[in-house]
Amino acid sequence: MKLTLGYSTCSFALPLLMAAAFTTGARADGETIAVFTKNQTNPFFQTVRVGADNMAKSLNAKTLQYIPTKPDSIPEQLSQIEDVVVKKPSAIVFTPVDYKAMVPGVEKINEAKIPVVNITDRSAGGKFLSFVGADDYSLGLETARFLLKTLGGKGNIVIIEGVKGSLTNVDRVRGFNDAIKENPGAKLLASQPGNYQRLQALQVMENLMQSNSQIDGVLAANDAMAVGAIEALDGANRKAQVIGINGTKEAIDAIKSGKLLASGDYNGFAQGCLGTMMAIRSLRNQPVISEIVLKPTVITKDNYQPFDVPLEQRTCPTFEDAGKLGAK
Amino acid sequence: MTDISKEAIAPPRSFLSQDAIQLFYRLLAALLICAVLAVLSDSFLSLGNILNVLRQASLTFFIASGLTLVVLTAGLDLSVGANVALSACIAGTVIHKTGSPALGILTGLACGGIVGLLNGIMVTALRIPSFIATYGMLWVLNGLTYWYMAGETLHGFPAGFRQIGSGYLFGLPIPVYLLLVFLGIGTLFAQRTIWGQEIYAIGANPVAARLSGIPVARRLLLVYAVSGTMAGLASIIFLSRLNSAEADIGESLTLPAIAAVLIGGTSLFGGVGTVFGTFIGALILTLVLNGMNLLSVSANWQPLVTGIIVILAVWLDMKTRRRAQ
Repeated sequence: MKLTLGYSTCSFALPLLMAAAFTTGARADGETIAVFTKNQTNPFFQTVRVGADNMAKSLNAKTLQYIPTKPDSIPEQLSQIEDVVVKKPSAIVFTPVDYKAMVPGVEKINEAKIPVVNITDRSAGGKFLSFVGADDYSLGLETARFLLKTLGGKGNIVIIEGVKGSLTNVDRVRGFNDAIKENPGAKLLASQPGNYQRLQALQVMENLMQSNSQIDGVLAANDAMAVGAIEALDGANRKAQVIGINGTKEAIDAIKSGKLLASGDYNGFAQGCLGTMMAIRSLRNQPVISEIVLKPTVITKDNYQPFDVPLEQRTCPTFEDAGKLGAK
Repeated sequence: MTDISKEAIAPPRSFLSQDAIQLFYRLLAALLICAVLAVLSDSFLSLGNILNVLRQASLTFFIASGLTLVVLTAGLDLSVGANVALSACIAGTVIHKTGSPALGILTGLACGGIVGLLNGIMVTALRIPSFIATYGMLWVLNGLTYWYMAGETLHGFPAGFRQIGSGYLFGLPIPVYLLLVFLGIGTLFAQRTIWGQEIYAIGANPVAARLSGIPVARRLLLVYAVSGTMAGLASIIFLSRLNSAEADIGESLTLPAIAAVLIGGTSLFGGVGTVFGTFIGALILTLVLNGMNLLSVSANWQPLVTGIIVILAVWLDMKTRRRAQ
C-alpha cells in the first residue's frame, strides 16, 4: 500500500488554514473551484468528484461540478468552458474529454486568467499550474506483471482492449504487451476490442473461447470488461485468471470473492483530492507541486481492505503524502 | 365511406411476394458471410460457435424486433438503448430490494412499456415527429438513469434469474428459445393479423390508412408500446446475462438495433420490411464481429470492416429491390 490514508482530515486542515491565515494577504477560504470531469457514467469520475469535494470541504472551499450530459462530449465541454469563463470561479480543476480537442478550451481559460490544474488525462496544450494523474502505461505493465507472476511466467494470454485510439487504452495495452514480452513462456493469443463495454467484452470472450481451447490469463483494460470476461468464462465453465483496471467497487467485490485476480488502482479519489488541493494552495500563495504522477497500486486479495471503504469515508492524502505518492 | 377495401391499400403479404424475394437475398448474404468465415476459421462452424452467434444476436434482435414495427409505420425509436439501460437499472434494484426475480422482470417489462407508451403519446397526441420525440426521450431516460445510478453499478443477482440469460435447456441457450418465440410471434403478428396489416398500411400511406377506417393513433400507440416493452425484455436478458447493470449500457445498443432493422431490409420510409429480415440483419452484424474475433482482426480495422459491411448490405438491398420492381 503506497497510499497513506492514516492522517485525519482535521489534523491536516487546521495547520494549513492557520498557515494561510498568517501568511500573505490572500483570501483564507471560501474559494469556488470548478471541477470538470468527462462523464456521469464511469464510476471512476465519481471517485474523482468525491475526492475533490472532500478536499474542498476540508479547506473551506466550494466545488462546482461540470459534467457533460452526453458522455465525453467535446462540444458540450467546450460550451461549459465558455459558461465558466463568464462565471469566473477562483480556480478550475480540469479533465479534458479529449486531450487534443480541448486545447482551444484550455486556451480560453488561460486568456481569462483563471488558474487551472490538469488532472487524469494530460492536455496536449495550454498552461496549467499543476498536473495530477496516474500513469496508464505502468498500470498496464504492473497489473500484467502480477498476472504473469501468478501464472508462473507462462500461459496463453488474451487482451481485451478499450476504445481504440483513446489515450488510456493505448498506454494500458502497451503496458500489457511489454509485460507479456518480458515472459518468453507467455503467448499472446489475441488482442481484441471491447470498447470499455461489459457486453462487448463478454461477447469477445465468448468468441475467443471458440477458437482457443486453452486461455490462462485475460488482461482487460478496465474493470467492467474484466467482469464481462469473467461472466463469459463462468458461462462456459472455464477458468482463467483475469485482471482489470480502475479499482471500482465492483472489482473490489470480485477480488474479495476470488473471481477477479487483481485490478490496477487508477487512484481517482487521490487525483480529485490532490488536483483540488493544488488549485487552492496556489490561490493561497502556498507552494504547489507542478507534476504528480501517481504510482500504480495493484489491488489484490492481500491488500484490498483500504479500497473496500465507501468513498465518502475515505480521507484525502496530505500535501506531504503527495510528494511520496509520485511527485516528479 | 369506410367500406373501401383494406385489401386495396395493403394486399395480404403472401410468402412468395416481393418481401420473400428480399428475404432470400438477405439469407444469401448471411450464408455468404458464413461460407467465407467457415473457410477462414476452423472453429467457425462448430456447434458451440453457432449457438454463440445466435445467443449474441438475440439481444440485438429483441430490441430490433419491436423497432421494426415502428420503422414499418415510417417512424423511428431512438430511445430504445436508453430505455434498456433505465429498465435494467430499475429492474435490478427491484430484484436486489425484494429478492424476487419475478417482480424484477415485471418491473423491467413495465418500465420499458411505459416509456414506449409515452413515446407513442408524444407521436400521436402531441404530433411530434418520432425522430424528435424519441431523441428527446433518449435524453430524459439518460438523465434519469445517470441521476438514479450516480456513477454506481448494480451487480450480483440470484442464480435462478441468471439462467434466463446464461442458462441452457436441452443443449440450447435459453435466449435462443426466446429468440425463436419472438421471431415467430413477430412474424405472425406482422404478416397474418389485421393489426399487422394495418401497421403496413399506415407506413405505406397514413392518409389512405385513416380514410379507410384504420384507427391510426391507436395502432401507433401499440407499436411504440411494443417497441418499449421489447427494450424492457432486452434489459432483463442483459441483467441476467451480464449479472450487472450500469447507466451507460444503452449507448452501444441503439445503433446496432437500428442497423439490424435497416440491413434486414425494412425501409425507413415505412410500409416495407419484415421481422424475419431484422433477425437476419442482427445475425449479419453479429457474424461480422464474431468472425473478426475468431480471425484476430486488429482492433484498428474492426469498425472499418463493420461500416463497410453495413453499407454494402443496404446498397445490395436497394439494388435487388429495384430489380425486383
